[in-house]
Amino acid sequence: MLSNEIITADVINAATPKTKIEVKNLNFYYGESKALKDITLSLPERSVTAFIGPSGCGKSTLLRVFNRIYELYPKQRADGEVRLDGENILDRSQDLNLLRTKIGMVFQKPTPFPMSIYENIAFGIRLYEKLSKAEMDERVEQALKRAALWTEVKDKLDASGTSLSGGQQQRLCIARTVAVKPEVILLDEPCSALDPLSTARIEELIDELQADYTIVIVTHNMQQAARVSAQTAFMYLGELIEFDKTEKIFTSPREKRTQDYITGRFG
Amino acid sequence: MSAASSSLYSRRKARNSVMMTLCVVAAGIGLAWLALILGALLWKGLAGLNLAVFTEMTPPPGEAGGLLNAIAGSVAMTVIAVAVGTPVGILAGTYMAEYGRFSKLTVVVRFINDILLSAPSIIIGLFIYELMVRPMGHFSALAGAVALAMLVIPVVVRTTEDMLNLVPNALREAGTAIGAPRWIVIRSVAYRAALSGIVTGVLLAVARISGETAPLLFTALSNQFWSSNLNAPMASLPVTIFQFALSPYEEWQQLAWTGALIITFTVLGLSIFARSLTGRRI
Repeated sequence: MLSNEIITADVINAATPKTKIEVKNLNFYYGESKALKDITLSLPERSVTAFIGPSGCGKSTLLRVFNRIYELYPKQRADGEVRLDGENILDRSQDLNLLRTKIGMVFQKPTPFPMSIYENIAFGIRLYEKLSKAEMDERVEQALKRAALWTEVKDKLDASGTSLSGGQQQRLCIARTVAVKPEVILLDEPCSALDPLSTARIEELIDELQADYTIVIVTHNMQQAARVSAQTAFMYLGELIEFDKTEKIFTSPREKRTQDYITGRFG
Repeated sequence: MSAASSSLYSRRKARNSVMMTLCVVAAGIGLAWLALILGALLWKGLAGLNLAVFTEMTPPPGEAGGLLNAIAGSVAMTVIAVAVGTPVGILAGTYMAEYGRFSKLTVVVRFINDILLSAPSIIIGLFIYELMVRPMGHFSALAGAVALAMLVIPVVVRTTEDMLNLVPNALREAGTAIGAPRWIVIRSVAYRAALSGIVTGVLLAVARISGETAPLLFTALSNQFWSSNLNAPMASLPVTIFQFALSPYEEWQQLAWTGALIITFTVLGLSIFARSLTGRRI
């Protein structure tokens, strides 16, 4: 689509110098039904991009293509190109486990593993690195600090991850993701199961993390998108309707459908 | 409220109390039998319960003795059956819930497993008789253990699959999302989340086989004496009870009651333990 290419170019020129993820003519299918239609967009490095749109518009689906988590389920498939630093991650030859260490993901509901807080973090690190006890302690502490959880849990690292509150669990999941040193962090409605206070903490965290990571967040909450992201993509019925700088989307969107959605006229 | 609706209401109340009474009576009948059985067992079994039961061998007719060889035989065959059946059952259940979740093979295996689950145990006994006892030329504890293992497998397959299916997919996705290969996600995340349920399944399987008589009659037979030879007939509690209860000798009948008491309370204890494990879920 011509319009999309123009939008992408705008964002690249104006905002950040380097593109981290580049999506070209991406289609996605759940069995016979097409959930993403010819998506093309570029996400700049070290900034936050939000995907918004009504339920079923494909925003989570698009996010789930970036780490190919959809491969867990047969009958789900993607075609087109998704380039991470220029390399097409949809290639058959792509090592999925290695890809996922580069692209971390945090889910809608907090998903602590059924193990201790310490083990929740160490688990991912141990998969790819052989560390001494002291080094591991250090890494776990770093990750928990990065996720602003350290002070709350430093005295009970042996407690079960599930014993934490919902907001703490979600920060534990972020810590766990950060611990394996990814380049990109995907957040799939990370606050929808949390209270306003926990949500605020996660948003602060997102703000801090964007200095080091490329962050993509799917959210139902338009205020959240406005608060945390630098650019926003509005999706509807599997299509990318508009992609631009966040303030542009929320103040003077180009498309009428975007305008209608952000003003609450539908969705 | 009008007259018509209040009569409707009182009729509904009357019907409710009739149905309620019927339900309570039905539950009472069920429980009464259980109480009677347990009562009779305690009454008759406790009379013969003493240290000798656990320290002496099964006696010849007309003499005092114990059940040591039968208890030891039951424990030995149960342990072997669980050791053989559990890994097979857990691996099959894991295939069905994890790797083969969307495959047709899983549907077929689940169907066959359900049949096996409800197959009369005497059929299993006859099957092992044909498979092992006849070719070997003699009864053996090993054949008994294999027959019991055949009963363990479907129980463990079923509970493992069910418990793994209860593990939320979000947890598997989370494991996958930090770059863990599938087998590690299964081993370190799914198994841990389902652990208490899987252990419960194994305990229920133990409870199931510890009372089985029919499959042992054709395989391990029984043995009047102490035997630790797996390649020879071995005594077991259920078969000994069967044999002694049918005998005309009073000492034997007493031992049969006591043996029945031991089995019943072992199974009861295992079931309660299994329940308490599932009570503390994930």
